[in-house]
Amino acid sequence: MGNSSKLHRLQPMTAALVGVLFFFAIIGVFGLRLAIAGLAVFVLGAVAVYAAFPTQGAES
Amino acid sequence: MKLNPSLLARIQFAFTVSFHIIFPTMSIGLASFLAVIEALWLKTKKPVYLEIYKFWLSIFAMGFGIGVVTGIVLSFEFGLGFARFAQMAGPAIGPLIALEVLTAFFLEAGFLGIMLFGLHRVGPKLHFFATCMVAIGTLLSASWILSANSWMQTPAGVAIHDGHLTVLSWRHVLVNPSWLYRLPHMLTAAYLTASFMVAGVGAWYLLKGKHQHFARRTLTLGTAFGTVLIAGQVFIGDILYGTMLKYQPSKMQAAEGFWETQSQSPAPYYWFIVPDQDNQRNRFQLGIPYLGSIWLTHSLEGRVQGLRNTPRDLQPRMGLVFYAFRIMYGLAMVMFAVGVASLWLRFRGKLFSSRWFLWILVFMTPSGIIATLAGWYVAETGRQPWVIYGILRTVDAVSPVPAQALLSTLIAFVCVYAVFITAFLVFSFRIIRRGPDEVPPYAEASGSVKNAFRPYVLDSPERLVNSNITLRS
Repeated sequence: MGNSSKLHRLQPMTAALVGVLFFFAIIGVFGLRLAIAGLAVFVLGAVAVYAAFPTQGAES
Repeated sequence: MKLNPSLLARIQFAFTVSFHIIFPTMSIGLASFLAVIEALWLKTKKPVYLEIYKFWLSIFAMGFGIGVVTGIVLSFEFGLGFARFAQMAGPAIGPLIALEVLTAFFLEAGFLGIMLFGLHRVGPKLHFFATCMVAIGTLLSASWILSANSWMQTPAGVAIHDGHLTVLSWRHVLVNPSWLYRLPHMLTAAYLTASFMVAGVGAWYLLKGKHQHFARRTLTLGTAFGTVLIAGQVFIGDILYGTMLKYQPSKMQAAEGFWETQSQSPAPYYWFIVPDQDNQRNRFQLGIPYLGSIWLTHSLEGRVQGLRNTPRDLQPRMGLVFYAFRIMYGLAMVMFAVGVASLWLRFRGKLFSSRWFLWILVFMTPSGIIATLAGWYVAETGRQPWVIYGILRTVDAVSPVPAQALLSTLIAFVCVYAVFITAFLVFSFRIIRRGPDEVPPYAEASGSVKNAFRPYVLDSPERLVNSNITLRS
């Protein structure tokens, strides 16, 4: 298996792990402060992704 | 067979209120969505936003209509099935419901006509104002109703003398301990419902290769709003969980599926149980080790309180609360996963071309409605055996009405509501099948009944102008 193939498989797994981590943080597993911080980072990250990566055809 | 009036009254109210909540949930979410879309249209002048507005306005209007009609029924049912509740709670609940009608409903009803029929009559900015007023009206409506229902969950600001309730503090009745958390939880649920509906329809068009431009824009809006909102919702949900654990521990004990006064350490998180309420144990249970301690106590070895902490005669039915909670929470997790996946696909530039993801969005179209219904089942079945928590039991709240009367009206409600839901689904699917290009945008008031029935009045106001029929009187 080539390196690029390994990397290709690793990327979605990393995204899923980051998602799980955010979920645990937001529901307060690591405390209220980290829950608020996790929520803020997730929301800002989501807005940044949608703003920075306009998918072809979505804009008119 | 001997019919039980108490059970029939509860089944009837459960049926009618479950049916009703579907439509306000949609209309609260869609009203705000429409306000955002119209604002985007006014700001950018991009025609696609007007197309989206027109498309969803039709579905919003149908849902709004059914929501109003089925909501009125509930007020009458207080008298029909729960007269003793109405008699006792009237001094606290009555003014809240009256205020909902006076403020929210009048606001919605007053501006709904302009929203539906007025774009080409009042101008875009005034029309946008009308859309905002309708959206604010839905928020106010939710606020009053949630205040009333939250007061039933966590009553405050009242005193009881000889079975009669007196309001001591309206501030405490309105801003009762659970309202501050339940209101944003419900509003976010409504916005999530609209987001996943919008994204699902957009995904369907992309899968079918139709209305690409409209579909891409709606899918972008739906997934973007949905992703941000679900993160907020799980945060609010966790805070609400802590609040209800403090004020209604029996509800949360039932929701977690533990019977023991203290669970084992570490506690598992149960996903499937077969509860035996009579023997106060689970016949079967299946869960993930450690996860109960981590999620519920935020530690690796924490113990969870079980339902035996509550006296038997004050316990809710564990099965109902547990599975309603699992459906709501399970769907929230799936929504969160969909949100993360949408971000990933957006980042990779594959949001519109990943068919597996588009199919997931299509299946998730009603997820907000199902999760909201499940959430309300947690709230209402978890409060049992009380109708006003700690004050009035449900069995003591039922009207002295013959069971036959309750059964016959229940059958009538089922028949009439079956017509409602069939009509709503048929017309909604028809609108979706036709697509945004062919949606009748506005039923223009032409001042003439004859003109109003001409097909092009519904289809294109511009054609009216071209055919020398005046739009403005």
